[in-house]
Amino acid sequence: MIFTNVLSVCLLLDEVLHSWAGLSSQTASSSQGWRTPVDCVRANELCIAEPNCISRYRTLRQCLVGRDRNTMLTNKECQAALEVLQESPLYDCRCKRGMKKELLCLQIYWSIHLGLTEGEEFYEASPYEPLTTRLSDIFRLASIFSGMEPTSSKSNQCLNAAKACNLNDNCKKLRSGYISLCNKGPTNSEPCNRRKCHKALRQFFDRVSHEYTYRLLFCSCKDQACAERRRQTIVPACSYEDKEKPNCLDLRSMCRTDQLCRARLADYHTNCQVSFLSVTTCPLDNYRACLSSYSGLIGFDISPNYVDSSTSSITVSPWCTCKGSGNMEEECERFLRDFTENSCLRNAIQAFGNGTDVTIIPKTSLPLATISAKTEKSSVSTDDVNDGSSVYDNITTCASVQENGSKLNKSKDQNQNLCYLETQLSTDIMPDLRNHVDEKSFSIRHCSSRLLPVILLFPLKLAL
Amino acid sequence: NRMKRARARHKPCELKELEVSVSDLGLGYESDETILFRYCSGTCDTSLRNYDLSLKNMRSKKKIKKEKMRARPCCRPLLYDDDISFLDVYNHYYTIKELSAKTCGCV
Repeated sequence: MIFTNVLSVCLLLDEVLHSWAGLSSQTASSSQGWRTPVDCVRANELCIAEPNCISRYRTLRQCLVGRDRNTMLTNKECQAALEVLQESPLYDCRCKRGMKKELLCLQIYWSIHLGLTEGEEFYEASPYEPLTTRLSDIFRLASIFSGMEPTSSKSNQCLNAAKACNLNDNCKKLRSGYISLCNKGPTNSEPCNRRKCHKALRQFFDRVSHEYTYRLLFCSCKDQACAERRRQTIVPACSYEDKEKPNCLDLRSMCRTDQLCRARLADYHTNCQVSFLSVTTCPLDNYRACLSSYSGLIGFDISPNYVDSSTSSITVSPWCTCKGSGNMEEECERFLRDFTENSCLRNAIQAFGNGTDVTIIPKTSLPLATISAKTEKSSVSTDDVNDGSSVYDNITTCASVQENGSKLNKSKDQNQNLCYLETQLSTDIMPDLRNHVDEKSFSIRHCSSRLLPVILLFPLKLAL
Repeated sequence: NRMKRARARHKPCELKELEVSVSDLGLGYESDETILFRYCSGTCDTSLRNYDLSLKNMRSKKKIKKEKMRARPCCRPLLYDDDISFLDVYNHYYTIKELSAKTCGCV
């Protein structure tokens, strides 16, 4: 009795927190049924095997052709088909980026979801599975495979990234692949083939390990030569720049006619949308997911790139403008700002360049001495650090801390200590906020593990 | 030590690799990018063919006089590695073909 009460309170809390944190629809829907989403190709196969499912699926697809949601639902047969499909794995299936048959998977996804959204939405839910791994996992990979050198002030990180890629056969091959297709050559005699260049770029970002591609794309720079090299990564002369700058909303409409481009854009909007509920301003504080969706846009007409080779400020944008938007100017500016003035994306790029994962936001950065003094006293008990699995244990490189603390003794252990202190600090500052944001932290498992001793004590008290 | 050196000199033909900067290649490109240069090195003593022996004998018997020729097999690339691209200091991209060896053999 008491147990069920406590459990229901837990469930309720869980739900409230989910809605409170403004979680994207995908995480909410996956927690509703407690089932992990299958990929849509597999879900389609499962549906084909079931006569009831496949006939309803066909009906629904017929219903959706050329009709919006409301007119479709006036038809009883269509409504019944939708109700049946909502119970099937097809309804909340997802795709994986770079998977085999990715296009087929997305076709199946959009065949259901396109007609069910309310008209032309500004943001669409991502058809891709949420990424749960963190940036720190990439740092760890990088340090294992390529002996990622700590960032010394002299070295050019972007040049180091090129070296790391050249020394890896797969990265070298696919990098040369897109460069040779995208490169116009110094004489400009032969124009580049943009379509082939884009395809090769997509292959590079889909098939090469992120530890190499992210290092090339998001290296941090202290001088212009480095920043120019970073800007040149995607061979912008062919893949990015064009004779004219189209209107951003036209570019978006064009992207949405292509199922792959539409999926990547929706994924970007899902993972890099500025959220003021998280410390990092990224959804669920997941930098990795944002960087992954950003790089997923490269090789489409909407490819973003660094607008200049400035070292102080990072500004990225697709090749488009809001001139000639007419009465849509506001919507256009809003669309463009998600690239040019996106604090989540900027923080994620900087965090990767510095070799840190979840860091303190610049506003609250304090002199290092006070940080270490403060955190030494307030040792965070392990119980308070939410289930400790992904974010906090994995930080292996903490280059920014090394840089900041260059006057201090540079022993490895100390750096490691500082790293942990930094991450602990971020949990210290806003412990409440963090708990709300990290969906795992308030899972039922966690909830019951805390309350279980209480529940067990109750009958004991009653017996006494 | 001398034995070691001697043995090193008589290693059979094989693929070796070296990390070099593009500028070091001496091809006229100016770039600080580091690449992996794979090359063939070693001796081919064990793969002397009847061709080589006969050619040697013809020459010593003065049947072949002025022509240039080689009566020993040579450790050379059998296949070349994929193209390699890099960005130079003037921010131009270049792609070089057949720069690096992929497999070696005595030919």
